[in-house]
Amino acid sequence: MTAQIISVLNELRQFAINNGISAEFFYHEEDSALMRFANSAISLNTNEHLVRLEITAHEGNKRASYSMITNLDAVEDMQQGVLQAAEIVKHAQPLNYTPTIPVYQATFIEESAFDPDLAHISNDEKLAYFNQAVAGLESDQIKLGGIFSSGKNVLAAMNTESEHALAFVSSDAQITMVLSHQALKWEVIAEQSAQTKADLDPKKIHRELSFLLHHYQNDTAQQIPLGQYDIVFGPAATAEMVSTMNWIGFNGGMMKRGYSFLSEDHLGKQVLGQSFTLVDDPTRVETFPFSVDMMGIERKPFVLFDQGEFKSFTWYQDDADEFGAEPTGHTVMHKSLVVSGGETPINTLEELVNAPRDKDILYIPYIHYMNFVNPSKGLITGSSRFGALLLKADGSVVVPYNVRLTQSLLDIFSEKIAWISDGQVAYNTSMSYGARNPTALIVPNFVCVKDLEISHANSSY
Amino acid sequence: MQHHIKEQIDRILSQGAVYVDARWYPNEETHNLTMWNGNLKDASATRESGIGVRVLYKGAWGFSASSDVNNLAGLFEKAFNNARTAAERVTFPIRLAEKDAIQASFSSPNRIDPFTIPFNQKVDFLKRMDDTLKQPGVAQRVVDLTFVRKQIIFLDSEGSEIEKNIVEVFPSIGVMGVDTEGGTQRRSFKPSRLGDTRGWETIDEALFTSEAERIVRELDQILKAEACPKESRSVILLPGIMFLQTHETIGHPLELDRILGYELAFAGGSFVTLDDFGTLRYGSEKLTARADATVSNSPGSFGFDDDGVPAQDNLLIDKGILVGAITGRQMVEEANATARKQIFQGSSGANRATSFYRVPIERMTNINIDPGTDGTLEDIIKNTEKGIVLDGDKSWSIGSNREQFHFATEIGWLVEDGEVTEVVKNATYQGETLNFYNSLTAVGDESTWEVQYVDNCGKGQPSQIMQLGHGVPVCRFDNVRIGE
Repeated sequence: MTAQIISVLNELRQFAINNGISAEFFYHEEDSALMRFANSAISLNTNEHLVRLEITAHEGNKRASYSMITNLDAVEDMQQGVLQAAEIVKHAQPLNYTPTIPVYQATFIEESAFDPDLAHISNDEKLAYFNQAVAGLESDQIKLGGIFSSGKNVLAAMNTESEHALAFVSSDAQITMVLSHQALKWEVIAEQSAQTKADLDPKKIHRELSFLLHHYQNDTAQQIPLGQYDIVFGPAATAEMVSTMNWIGFNGGMMKRGYSFLSEDHLGKQVLGQSFTLVDDPTRVETFPFSVDMMGIERKPFVLFDQGEFKSFTWYQDDADEFGAEPTGHTVMHKSLVVSGGETPINTLEELVNAPRDKDILYIPYIHYMNFVNPSKGLITGSSRFGALLLKADGSVVVPYNVRLTQSLLDIFSEKIAWISDGQVAYNTSMSYGARNPTALIVPNFVCVKDLEISHANSSY
Repeated sequence: MQHHIKEQIDRILSQGAVYVDARWYPNEETHNLTMWNGNLKDASATRESGIGVRVLYKGAWGFSASSDVNNLAGLFEKAFNNARTAAERVTFPIRLAEKDAIQASFSSPNRIDPFTIPFNQKVDFLKRMDDTLKQPGVAQRVVDLTFVRKQIIFLDSEGSEIEKNIVEVFPSIGVMGVDTEGGTQRRSFKPSRLGDTRGWETIDEALFTSEAERIVRELDQILKAEACPKESRSVILLPGIMFLQTHETIGHPLELDRILGYELAFAGGSFVTLDDFGTLRYGSEKLTARADATVSNSPGSFGFDDDGVPAQDNLLIDKGILVGAITGRQMVEEANATARKQIFQGSSGANRATSFYRVPIERMTNINIDPGTDGTLEDIIKNTEKGIVLDGDKSWSIGSNREQFHFATEIGWLVEDGEVTEVVKNATYQGETLNFYNSLTAVGDESTWEVQYVDNCGKGQPSQIMQLGHGVPVCRFDNVRIGE
């Protein structure tokens, strides 16, 4: 399959060269399936097979692209796309910098994150997983929702500068299972990110859902008072906040455009708490990594924050070209972000609930609808969802109605960090807007932060 | 092609499916042009074609899509197989509300197809706008043009055959600068939908030039401004933020699939229940809202939805009382059955998919607020003791049941004793949806009413992006928390 794709790209390359066109080709193929549940039924069972080709034509400092949904055997159609890109670039305006076209020195094919068994998991197997994970948990009032999203993803790149190509093949599954109360409108969640079929563990999902369900059905629910709380963030919340740093933190291009809470003055300085270390580590296969970037640059572990000290911005090639920076091997669809674990042996929700405490702790597993209120200050806002708990100092547990947190990332990951779990988990953050792009971060199971402000608390579910 | 699709629809029906439809996109094109600080960062075109097939079998949906139309039989078979599996876990067997079989076509009104305009003419427009925006204090300038043209052919097993040809134009400009505290501020402009057509002719260069000068001027004021105070005031929302308030806290909570719990695992639910229709006081008597898919110049108008139901104009909120929802054929049947009464008379024609490879779901059309009787913007300001005028969406975050929200805006103007006193930066406001709309104390007249577009509304799994519109007047809400 990969050989056939590279062969077609090479055919396009020859076509472009024969027509005097300088061009890059980016190929994306997905075979995606999604079984969606709602109200305890399969509300949708869908699959799609899509082939996308993006052709970028260059003419001096001018650049233009033409993207198409096509088929691998439609070479003539693709060739028309090459001519279209070449036509557009004639009318483009020169950039005030010269965009780099990579010269691949060797063909590189990465398939370490591909498991054919997972890529082709059957409808029956997915349904069986769900049935096992919620066995005995549904009722007239408690309904199942969620997704089993799985598929195969192929990326490939070639250009007219060399005969070599890059190709990345991966498979992934993201399982989200939600139990919601029909009348009260609360929801609890358990999730699993899988890279191989062997990763699938419905029993673990069942344990997590059972535990949360027990609390949501038996503990008192209440509107909590506004004010400061020690908050324990679950993996989804931590992954979401760290992911935003891709945009408004260490991204060099965004920094130059004024959309970052970091500046060049922060380099080498203590910006975040000493317990916060963040590395882009493409050796971690759980993150669906790119061992080389789309420019052909070999990627190695790249420290972003070392014990709170800001070490480096990351640069896409185009931003590096525009702003005169050195590319850092980050012209990738996604990074392989890893937040270091800490020293606290609390790694499951059950352990967290049972851990001794001398003050109330608010557990927020998930931040719903997070947005950047003020990117240059790192100010974000979002609401709790999917199973928040207030762990009272006296050992009891209260179910809090959802709350809103409006806070700067500079505060959240500052010296206010009280403790971090010694265990980590791969959390899938894939989105399917546009093309499939399996993405995961590795984050601690829990991050506890002192004295964060809750600015709004719902008066009901 | 239509003949082959019909053959496959008939074949799957003969195997036991109760309903089958197909959406064939022979061609969907976009042109995107983005100039950032004078650099043409994006000059791109896209083209998509393919077919999506939906099969209803034993009360469950199966869907399959492919860009390869050469194996129709295999594609229909996949959709049918997906439905067979889904039929193993059914709680409410899906059935579809009645509709007429329709043979029709729809073309969005436009005088000048933007795809006939030479590429260099579009680039020249960007350059002229960029030159206008290039002023002292402006650190970043962005000019963006997006054009969409698509042909959709819908066929179903009930005898409908509908062809849609839709053209859209999405222009915008924006500027950014750094304030005295090192914070980035921005001001932007998206034209409201003037006139009855939506082609290239809607790009009024004289308007863009004057608006470019205005946003540069206002950015300069923001950069020098004090921060928004943290307190409670009346907020006066201009259409440039009222459209988003309407979108997030009237539009989304009134999508019937959300109300029925179909988005609870992802996008979220709604605080609205089926018992609320006809009784819930959503807002003050000044609030009348509607879903109007007949506005001629808006991406929320599309002739027929992807169930093949004609566009309609339906009331959602009548003088503050909740009376309607955003619906498609499947959900109205389930809602009526669940409520054991007929809340909805039929589909409101709002089931849409973003592309051939996505399944139709309830989407907003044009969710509009009727103009009121409280005069012009100036009249409303004059009658406000302590308030803030807000404009421009900067960030938005809404609770999972749409019960509460937080918005940040590009600019705020403080109002004291009926007069605008000063510009403030970092303006935000937050509230609870029902309390907020019940504190609606002034609605501007026709002179304040504008249709704004949304080109990036996300919902569903697999995720979908939709384009739609909001016709809204200036509105004032009392006792709102700002500055958080």
